[in-house]
Amino acid sequence: MDTLLTAEIVANSPRFRRKSSIFVDAIHDLPEKADLAPAQLYSTESGRLFHSGRIVIITVGLPARGKTHISVALARYLRWLGVKTRIFHLGDYRRATIPFGEDMPDDYFFVNATAKSVLLRQKIVRKCREDIYHFLNHENGQIAIYDAVNPLASGRRSLAKEFAKHDIETLFIESWCDDERIIEENVRRVKISSPDYVSWKSEDAVKHYLNRVYSRIPQFQTMEEKDLNYIKMINAGERLIVNNRSFGYLSNRIVFYLLNLHIKSRRTYFVRAGVSLDADSYKADASLSEQGEDYAKKMTERLLAHREEEKQAMIERGETGYESRPLKVWTSTRRRTVETAKYLHEYGYKIRQRSQLSQLNPGVCEKMSESAIRAEFGDDVAKHELDPYHHRYPRAESYHDLAVRLEPIILELEREQTDLLIIAHESVLRVLYGYLMACNAADIPFLEFPRDEIIEIVPESYQNEAQRIHIPDLPEEIIPASPEDLKIPVPPSGVVSPTQGLGTPEGQVTPQSGHRTPSGIQTPSGIRTPRERERISQQHVEDVV
Amino acid sequence: MSSKNIRRQHKAFIASSDDSKICVVMVGLPARGKSLIAGKAMRYLGWVGIPARVFNVGSYRRFSTPQPQAAFFDPHNEEGERMRRAAAEAAMADMLQWFNTGKGVVAILDATNSTKERRRWIYEKCHEADIEALFVESICDDEDLIMTNIKEVKTTSPDYKGQDPEVAALDFRNRIRNYEKVYETIDDDEKQYTYVKLINVGSTVIINQIKDYLSSRLVYYIQNIHIKPRSIWLSRHGESEFNLTGRIGGDSNISERGEAYARALPELMRKSGIPENTKIVIWTSTLRRTIQSARHLKAETGYEKLEWKALDELDSGVCDGLTYEQIAEKYPEDFAARDEDKYNYRYRGGESYRDVVIRLEPIIMELERSENVIIVTHQAVLRCIYAYFMNVPQEQSPWMEVPLHTLIKLTPRAYGTEEQRFKANIPAVSTWRGKGTSARHQEFHAAEGGKVDGTETKH
Repeated sequence: MDTLLTAEIVANSPRFRRKSSIFVDAIHDLPEKADLAPAQLYSTESGRLFHSGRIVIITVGLPARGKTHISVALARYLRWLGVKTRIFHLGDYRRATIPFGEDMPDDYFFVNATAKSVLLRQKIVRKCREDIYHFLNHENGQIAIYDAVNPLASGRRSLAKEFAKHDIETLFIESWCDDERIIEENVRRVKISSPDYVSWKSEDAVKHYLNRVYSRIPQFQTMEEKDLNYIKMINAGERLIVNNRSFGYLSNRIVFYLLNLHIKSRRTYFVRAGVSLDADSYKADASLSEQGEDYAKKMTERLLAHREEEKQAMIERGETGYESRPLKVWTSTRRRTVETAKYLHEYGYKIRQRSQLSQLNPGVCEKMSESAIRAEFGDDVAKHELDPYHHRYPRAESYHDLAVRLEPIILELEREQTDLLIIAHESVLRVLYGYLMACNAADIPFLEFPRDEIIEIVPESYQNEAQRIHIPDLPEEIIPASPEDLKIPVPPSGVVSPTQGLGTPEGQVTPQSGHRTPSGIQTPSGIRTPRERERISQQHVEDVV
Repeated sequence: MSSKNIRRQHKAFIASSDDSKICVVMVGLPARGKSLIAGKAMRYLGWVGIPARVFNVGSYRRFSTPQPQAAFFDPHNEEGERMRRAAAEAAMADMLQWFNTGKGVVAILDATNSTKERRRWIYEKCHEADIEALFVESICDDEDLIMTNIKEVKTTSPDYKGQDPEVAALDFRNRIRNYEKVYETIDDDEKQYTYVKLINVGSTVIINQIKDYLSSRLVYYIQNIHIKPRSIWLSRHGESEFNLTGRIGGDSNISERGEAYARALPELMRKSGIPENTKIVIWTSTLRRTIQSARHLKAETGYEKLEWKALDELDSGVCDGLTYEQIAEKYPEDFAARDEDKYNYRYRGGESYRDVVIRLEPIIMELERSENVIIVTHQAVLRCIYAYFMNVPQEQSPWMEVPLHTLIKLTPRAYGTEEQRFKANIPAVSTWRGKGTSARHQEFHAAEGGKVDGTETKH
């Protein structure tokens, strides 16, 4: 394999260089060391699960049909299940190969392109394919997602043949739309936010963008190839057609996931429940205290004010669609989470109680002091320190158990089309956040959700981003993460104990603010390296494919 | 505001149950595997803990017309039409009542439901009662497959009980012709419905307007099943060194008698009846005792073999390597707690039966996709897999007796799973422990187990 060119691509592509932060979804980074994934049920020596072979998932569809969104969401879910998955966006390779500032040839996608364009196209595709082979053959990869347009049946057949030669199965996923509103909405959301369209009227920009796409890719054949394995998603999941030649366990699982996926943009908010009267007891299920009551009120006001600001900002930008983003609230069935939603209920928001959202069961160590736990369950403390994600105290659940139990919630989270507020115990928030942001399993027990912050997850087609919204005027003693958490001796979490003033100024949203992240926490097993946070810039105009 | 007040208000806005209620409506001509799909879906849901029930319209019709002739199903036969309509109404009424008890989550309406009119009636009835209708249509134009199904039905359907098989087959084909006259497949007129169309046993699947998670999970399951005839063989590993000393768990070798069982297994398989040209795959756990037990079978037959971590024995945590007596002595409370609710009891640092069921779900899916498989595994895992196929309730499955050195053959049929047991006539200890006892492992004598090489069949 041509290592020189790969290095060139790496050097040119901002996406390959970056290290994700806790605020940017780590979906494009592979964990450096082999680690069990959050919801992985078992491991195998090959590192591949379910005795399935290696699969290349090949996307099919014109630009603005949500291909990248589907690729990224699917990778997030598969990685969560413990399937080693990596996405190869052909666009990244094109941008890395075509020198910066240069346009790609106009006939790049034409069937009868000039020899020069054909050569360029071949060079780019070859590079991408070599990286896929390397990942599947030498890095224990199980699923590679090849994100490209693949508009012609003949091209798709030869791809399948080519991969079959290397003993790799193929599964095509087509996103097909005949609903113009979905396409336009998608263009508006992910394609025309670039500086090039700054002074344009939104509808003109959409028209211009789509005309460009159709003139560049004049021919597109929807999938009818009965000899290939494919899943055709019609109008963002309204209907799915599955052509099953030889589906394995994972392919069927992917269908299951896609049945719950949509491509609409919506936000997810996480907040803690208010403090309760008997905060230490898991079994008691106590009501909110006065302070908890006060918190519920302030949280509600801050959240609604924030949503109003966002709505105003959208109106100013000339965007539409804010009215189609109502808010739903999920709580656990525990009294304090339900009561925290009380004011939202009074405002007329729909509240839904979900039994699966109940907190990690602390087992027999509940209400025991740290020294008592150390005395009675010394072995367990040692084991817990070695692997806080998988270890269970007697009668307790581990984070891993919790992750497996939350699987239906995760699929319903994907299914939900409106904005969603989840009020739950910190242990549950950690796991859900870990899924949405593709966190490493080992980091999940250390994620922190201080009570004075609303976490907002904003999905972008390339990754999710998290923002923390400060709730002002809360008494200091109720803020810290895990004050009523299990009295289980988790390793000291260095950066916690937030002091007043360190927090975000009132009303300001800080997407990249770095305080109180788990980065840099010392654990008995060594120092976790701080992660850099880097802003990823995308050039949307050239990014027609 | 006082907390009392909050509580009152809180009660006022408790949302209703968060599970959607689903009515799975089967659609398709006779002999398209509808009852098989319905029965399997019910067992699967029960196994994962979702209350489900099948309402078979045919069995309501049988009250009035136990063994009708094909002419009964002629769309021009008004009397037949009226009675079939009455049966459908009775099934629907019972189904709605079952949902009203609040215990039901998924009902499966098993009938041909072959016209758009009938489907609209069902959809409206469900809609009124706030139940999601999920139509599942099975379409098949593979004649061989249909014939296999016809043979199957004429031998197992109550409609043809005690009749000449040839006459039954002919009558059944005529019945299908009568249905074909009026059959309407689900098409774009019905695109507002949630439906799944399975064409030729899932080689093409069209999934329309799935509205909730539970439906998607059901579709996922249905997509994994096939209706080709096959058998599944289950066996525990041969007697192990740990079995001899009464210890649980561990990763010990098989005993001499266990080795004898391993040697006898190929012959036992042959005796159990393997259709000609049948490809069988061997599945074992990753533990020594199952691999050793399947060793000779693999060497003699050349069958493909897979080792699954998910088939490893229930992890007994701190009790691993102890005898039941030692556990009762060292962890008396745990021992009692386990007897009280064995399905949910989780060993300290180990697993419960419920945990095992969760980790076995991928195995069940893979098993559904596979054809002939022999699984050599462990007592608890085997109980869970057996419970899935034989529809054993959760509270009973952990107490089921599955003796060593016995091969179980399961053959799925349209109206249930057929079970046969074959004993190897090689003595072994009994590892079965009754509720409330800490009995030592007992010597098992082949003679006690009844007929040597005998079979028991139950439905």
